[in-house]
Amino acid sequence: MRHVPTLVRRELGAYFLGPMAWLILLGFQAIAWLNFWDLVEVLARPQVGLSQLSDPMVTYISGSMPFWIAMMVAIPALTMRLLAEEKRSGTIETLLTVPISETEVVTAKWAAGVIMYLVLLIPYALYLPFLYYQAEFHFDLGPIAALSIGLTTMGMMFISIGVFFSALTRNQIVAAIGTFVVMFLMLMLTFLGYRYVAGRGAVWAEALKFCSILYQAYGFGVGQLDLRVLAMHLSVAIFMLYLAVKVLQSREDRG
Amino acid sequence: MIEVDRLTKQYGSITAVDRLAFTVGRGEIVGLLGPNGAGKTTTMRMLTTFIPPSSGRARLAGYDVLDAPIEVRRRVGYLPESVPLYLEMRVREYLTYRAKLRDVPGRRRRVAIDYVLSRCGIEDVQHRILGQLSKGYRQRVGLADAMVHEPDILILDEPTAGLDPVQVREVRALIRELGDRHTIILSTHIMTEVEAVCSRVIIIARGQLQVDESLDRLQSARTLMVEVRGDGEPAKSIIQSVKGVVRARVVDHDETTVTLEVELEAECDPAEQIANQLVRLGVGLRRLQPRRSSLEDRFIEAVGQANLSSDLDNSSGAA
Repeated sequence: MRHVPTLVRRELGAYFLGPMAWLILLGFQAIAWLNFWDLVEVLARPQVGLSQLSDPMVTYISGSMPFWIAMMVAIPALTMRLLAEEKRSGTIETLLTVPISETEVVTAKWAAGVIMYLVLLIPYALYLPFLYYQAEFHFDLGPIAALSIGLTTMGMMFISIGVFFSALTRNQIVAAIGTFVVMFLMLMLTFLGYRYVAGRGAVWAEALKFCSILYQAYGFGVGQLDLRVLAMHLSVAIFMLYLAVKVLQSREDRG
Repeated sequence: MIEVDRLTKQYGSITAVDRLAFTVGRGEIVGLLGPNGAGKTTTMRMLTTFIPPSSGRARLAGYDVLDAPIEVRRRVGYLPESVPLYLEMRVREYLTYRAKLRDVPGRRRRVAIDYVLSRCGIEDVQHRILGQLSKGYRQRVGLADAMVHEPDILILDEPTAGLDPVQVREVRALIRELGDRHTIILSTHIMTEVEAVCSRVIIIARGQLQVDESLDRLQSARTLMVEVRGDGEPAKSIIQSVKGVVRARVVDHDETTVTLEVELEAECDPAEQIANQLVRLGVGLRRLQPRRSSLEDRFIEAVGQANLSSDLDNSSGAA
């Protein structure tokens, strides 16, 4: 594992030497600004009844459609080139003939992806001190902590899915679409599916709700840090990385 | 240094490399020769542990490619055919990155990189971006990368492909120089390259070993070309009477002269006797010249045989 820092540094360099990372960052910055605007608007509204009370962090991130759509675009865009590009350009051949293991390669690619993902979320964090100190809106710190931890493990899971699809193919578009489809299933279909079956009293409705990323994020937004959810994120991440290593080791279609 | 035993690679029903066996000793420069699609690249990829063999064994520097791939990689420098590089990086930055991955210790890294930069003649471009370099420079960066950790073995897949004649000459000279410190296998389909660089030739065709011989032996003269004035028959009988001659035959004649091809026994050089006899018996000897069996002839012969035998296999299989 001692080669991982070297590999990660190169990977981050490659991100920032291309236009992709900057574009995604710009997009996220814009959405964060919109969301913040929205949040301020909601908070400024006079609270007339209990039904209108909403948690600021839910408004800000968990319940924000632009945030999730941006996420579904940004994560495939960040992860698609990680391994597929190495395969396409042939650099995989130089990478896997130096004394490093496939596990190191996959771990480094994933770690670089996770770092990029966390960088994307920085704009969201940047606005909050303004709200706290400038506007003197003293919100709870609990939901922020829960959201930071929850979104981090969630990102680890998403990036690992992206790494896996990137390991499968030499075509970045294929990798991006695969990642997008899985994210779409996890985000939208579980949510809609739960809404649909919950009313009919189906027994697996709860399971669907547990898997639904949107409900998980809502939980984080109101300050619930469910360890089962974190365990799910991390185990999916480890499993996907394991699969990616296996794909890389089965070198039949490497050429 | 390199021991290959019945190395085989199958892709589905296609056998890319078929029971290849050879050994390479320390300090040898071996040319792996073969037509396109003969299995050269597949062989090299198996030796560099990039792809696993379907069966058979290969040991490099004492380590098996399947049992100890990391140890093999430590001792091998590999230049793939297409010279894949990270085009957004700078030359020195790239070599530093690669040296780190190859576990060149920090205090030696700088010296090692300076050394390969000068050895490969790329000092003047060390701060340029790889994507902006010409093919020749990229090739040399690839070579520098392959040798930055001072490997025992260098495996070079078509190291001069795509270079201009001056660069080809430079790279060949470099490879020859490297031969004193490294064991080298290089693949090519250019005959003159093998003749210029290698001490030994391995010809493979259709995944099978056809020829494995030292270049000296391969090139040693076994044929003489003799040109005489007048009729060829007396000269022919004179030549055939000399000890060490297998046979002589007329290959060309015009109005005044006849050219004979004289086949010799191995390890035997009766050229002087032939000349003496001809002159003594009054034949007008105009020219006597050893003809080297060219590598190209051997190559065509070997490839032809491979095609023939596989055709026979196919027809017998069909029957």
